[in-house]
Amino acid sequence: MATDTDTARIEGFGEVSRVRGIIFEYLSLGASVLGIFALAVLLVYVTIDAFDLAGTSPLWLLTYFVTLVVPFLAFCLYSARDREVTRRAVTVAGGGLVAVAAVFTAIETFVGQIPRLNWQLAYLFVVVAPLTGYLVYMGARGRPGAVGFGLVGRLIGGAAIGLAFSVLFLVFDERLWFLAYTLGIVPGLFAYAYGQLRNSSTAVTAALPVSLVGVVLAVFVRDVLRTYPTTTFIYLWTLAIPIAAAGALVVNARGSRTAALAAGGVPLALAAVVGLFGRAIGLGVGGPNALLVIALAGVPVAVYLHRVFDVGEGVTGLGLPVLLVGGALAGALVVETFGIPTPNSWVSGTFLTEAPSRNARDAGLYPAIVGSVIIIAMVAVLSFVLGVATSVFLEEYTADSGVVGALTRLLQINIANLAAVPSVVYGLLGLGLFANLLGFGFGTAVTVSLTLSLLILPITIISAQEAIRSVPDDLRRGSDAMGATRWQTTKNVVLPEAFPGILTGTILALGRAIGETAPLIMVGAATTVFSAPSSLFSKFSAMPMQIYAWANFPQAEFRYGVVAAGVITLLTILVGMNGTAILLRNRAERGS
Amino acid sequence: MTDSTESPDLQRRSGLTRLKEGTYGGFFAACAAITLLTTVAIIVTLLSDAVAFFSQVPITEFLTSTSWSPNPRGGGQTFGIVALVIGTLTVTITAAFVAIPVGTLTAIYLSEYATPNARSILKPLLEILAGIPTVVYGYFALVYITPALKATLFPEMSTFNALSASLMVGIMTIPMVSSISEDAMSAVPDDLRQAGYGLGATKFEVSTGIVVPASISGIASSYILAVSRAIGETMIVVVAMGAQARMPTVGETVLGIPFINPADVLLDSGMTITVAMVQIAGGDLTGGTLPYDAMFALGLTLFVVTLVMNVLSDIIAERYREEY
Amino acid sequence: MSNTESETQTETEASDSLITTDVETGSNGRSAPSNRTAVAARDLNVFYGDEQAIDDVTMEIPENRVTALIGPSGCGKSTFLRTINRMNDMIEVCRVEGDVEFGGKNVYDDDVDPVALRRKIGMVFQKPNPFPKSIRDNVAYGLKIQGFDGDVDERVEESLKGAALWDEVKDQLDSSGLDLSGGQQQRLCIARAIAPDPEVILMDEPTSALDPVAASKIEDLIDDLAEEYTVIIVTHNMQQAARISDRTAVFLTGGRLVEYDDTTKIFEDPEEQRVEDYITGKFG
Repeated sequence: MATDTDTARIEGFGEVSRVRGIIFEYLSLGASVLGIFALAVLLVYVTIDAFDLAGTSPLWLLTYFVTLVVPFLAFCLYSARDREVTRRAVTVAGGGLVAVAAVFTAIETFVGQIPRLNWQLAYLFVVVAPLTGYLVYMGARGRPGAVGFGLVGRLIGGAAIGLAFSVLFLVFDERLWFLAYTLGIVPGLFAYAYGQLRNSSTAVTAALPVSLVGVVLAVFVRDVLRTYPTTTFIYLWTLAIPIAAAGALVVNARGSRTAALAAGGVPLALAAVVGLFGRAIGLGVGGPNALLVIALAGVPVAVYLHRVFDVGEGVTGLGLPVLLVGGALAGALVVETFGIPTPNSWVSGTFLTEAPSRNARDAGLYPAIVGSVIIIAMVAVLSFVLGVATSVFLEEYTADSGVVGALTRLLQINIANLAAVPSVVYGLLGLGLFANLLGFGFGTAVTVSLTLSLLILPITIISAQEAIRSVPDDLRRGSDAMGATRWQTTKNVVLPEAFPGILTGTILALGRAIGETAPLIMVGAATTVFSAPSSLFSKFSAMPMQIYAWANFPQAEFRYGVVAAGVITLLTILVGMNGTAILLRNRAERGS
Repeated sequence: MTDSTESPDLQRRSGLTRLKEGTYGGFFAACAAITLLTTVAIIVTLLSDAVAFFSQVPITEFLTSTSWSPNPRGGGQTFGIVALVIGTLTVTITAAFVAIPVGTLTAIYLSEYATPNARSILKPLLEILAGIPTVVYGYFALVYITPALKATLFPEMSTFNALSASLMVGIMTIPMVSSISEDAMSAVPDDLRQAGYGLGATKFEVSTGIVVPASISGIASSYILAVSRAIGETMIVVVAMGAQARMPTVGETVLGIPFINPADVLLDSGMTITVAMVQIAGGDLTGGTLPYDAMFALGLTLFVVTLVMNVLSDIIAERYREEY
Repeated sequence: MSNTESETQTETEASDSLITTDVETGSNGRSAPSNRTAVAARDLNVFYGDEQAIDDVTMEIPENRVTALIGPSGCGKSTFLRTINRMNDMIEVCRVEGDVEFGGKNVYDDDVDPVALRRKIGMVFQKPNPFPKSIRDNVAYGLKIQGFDGDVDERVEESLKGAALWDEVKDQLDSSGLDLSGGQQQRLCIARAIAPDPEVILMDEPTSALDPVAASKIEDLIDDLAEEYTVIIVTHNMQQAARISDRTAVFLTGGRLVEYDDTTKIFEDPEEQRVEDYITGKFG
């Protein structure tokens, strides 16, 4: 795009003044970072407030800096194995310390106190945080770093999904799920697998009807049957075992049968033992949720370990979780021994697991988190199905001209306009249509999910369309020329290629849904509920609703503490989701 | 010619296969139809209650009355949108003062000056600005921006005020201006730039004298979209601007043009159309009452205004797409 | 990737000689010349919007032979090829008048399902376009979509052998088709096309995106394919047409079929002056 004009400066031709140009360039650079900078400052402050860092003793910060941050950064440097990176990191860390301390002291002396900031915190945010980001980026390029981050990611992601599942079963009937799974999904899968193995197209075709019949049957049997297995058993049979089997299949496809058994079996056994007997044998953890978390984190980790050992590179990276946990424990030990005062963080175990309260220190976000998880799960399913189906229709099934073409254009314009309708208006739609006319109730999960699904549907469709459009036409024509029907081409060629892109777009759109507040207010979602919802039609709150409610509290403890903690929780979940989406996209781009 | 002993079977496929194909096609079409139905449902929902509202409150009164008080203690509801429009305009204009210059300069930087590396870092970072939940922005405005402004520039500022809310709305809409404008600027063919450089223009002259005018319709369409987004923005203003429908004192300038002192609307609380809707929704949702219907009348106003702006922006943008 | 070197080492000189009209043409010694017609066009006119791409073409293409369609670019030869398996249906502005008969049946009759038609007629494109799937899945693709009930692995092996690719890929059937070299990819596409056992194979400049060595391998393969299949190949390379085809049709601008005869005849003693000019390079 840009053509260099610096060569114009030749002696003898005179000189054209560049002053305006240079000022303009820096002005526009400044503008580019202005918004980002403002947001960064605000995020720093909300972090300080949420973790009560302003009142933290510098010794506490120093302890964890030494036991946790420095080893982690060293790990990244080790992984990057680049002398230049190491040199740069040490210079920035050291030089930054001096610079920040000097500048900060100067400001405090000549200008005045900066509220809730001291030079230690400033160093942390201005130097250490960006440096960590940079080193994580560089470290992830080396094998050990990639392996370490991959492992930690699977541990955290698996555990988060496990917890999300357990939350979903607060409102979804696990016994009905048990029946539907046993009577419908398992027979259907068997029919499908049999058909694939024996090349029997009848069996493959029969899979879907078999499943449907089973699910319908389950609905009828649900109230007839009296006795059911315990929740732990249900989770074990319906979730842990299939996940372990899937993991084993993945490893098996890579060639090793023994390793496959181990990768599926070991986490499954561990999950089963802890889930069923954990409490009894005095582990302190146990029950259905422990089983879910162990199975969902364990199986991907086992599969991953197999691959890492198979490839044999960067095995040292597997020590990263040990390094982190060890660092945290060491820090805790030092803090304990020397009696260093710990900060009174607002983000804490209690905050995440307790109900809201009038007393700021007891207030928690748990019911709102549960509400958000349930809503997001439902919105994800609805908007994914609708979004993919619509985009497939628009990209693969329509024509460019004639009546169909005109209809397609109408749909396209309509979707573009829907994407720009203010979210309050969607709230009115939800209120008028779902809550009042169809009677799904004010502020129930159903009403909220339907409303939010429609709200993000245009965004999902537009991104899915882009993903589908990026599939090369060569492949489509290749498949068509083989005598594939439109659906066969779509299913076998287009969708598999477009899938990562579609998934990324959907997750990014869900990020929008998780933060939406105005439509929730309009459909009457509760600002505050004191217990987790127990059915899809009970009163719901969601994280942004709770934040909205707390932000109106006049007490400083709420304003600067509880709400900040809520904001940090919400943003963390958002960053996690978007980070996953971006990783998926990068991976797909590298893969193709 | 042909011994057609084994004429190949080219008949249409069996019923089952065709049924399968038809089912999938039908399912996709049905899903696509949902998007159309959504629009229809929005319009019908808004209209039905809005019509009920206008049967009781004349549309002229709605559009010209300056007092908004849907649930007064002592009775005597008034539904005048003017005060709300002033609130909305205040936020929108102030936000535009932030988003338009900053967004345009950002777009120029990204399109003309930034190295590919810088662009690949800056663009996702800018997108983050649009991805932060608006309630969080509102909280930032209320808890950090307002106290900071109060302590430094405007000691007379009230806790809930239009200025900090508008600043946040502005920051939130920066990426909207920058990304669409940058697309338009990147679409300007390099030939035009080369022609400028060939005439001895500096990069600054090429950027501002050639690229910006050539992509002006794209830039304009981005402005309209950003403004439309600001008009519909809810949570930032609900949290940070308060909920007081106020008519500012209208002074007169020498020429007799009505004049509103900016400080009067910016430093004090106010109410936008969206805030008025949220305020009613906070109380009464069962339907059938006048305030409930008023909410839909406001929603309809909002919908129509944003729709018109989007269509306008589309038409303008279409022009630049056609040019290259 | 593994086979690119071996490919470049063999038969390097095969493509070097500039074959002109006096080369030994056609007569590939195929046994049992059949007189049956595989595909026939009758009064065929094809339009893209207002523009005529095929102008009143009538020709009969014999079974189990290689028929080459040559002509300058834009002469309608590719359009003609795509008319046979109705790939032009995908282009909305395209309109077809006249008949294309396949096995005695007009493929443009109302009761003909283009999908069913394409299952009988394989196609190989200019640019190799293997699916981003494993080699096995690529070859088995046609079988899968047609609900083939037999032994898939056996058919995959047969087809890969038929496409002269089996020896090179038999140990890596599960690796991606995209990992192969360009020439191997094109042979994979040929294997994919012959796996469902079609009657006709259409080839749209199948070697133009390949290096000469890979191209010559494909040419050898086409020669073998004609034992079992009717091959119709569009090529811009006259030497190629001379080397591999039994019959040659020359299209000149405007989508007119100027001359259609045995390849030997076309290249040695064409009836039309224009064809001779084209073949000797005076025109086009």
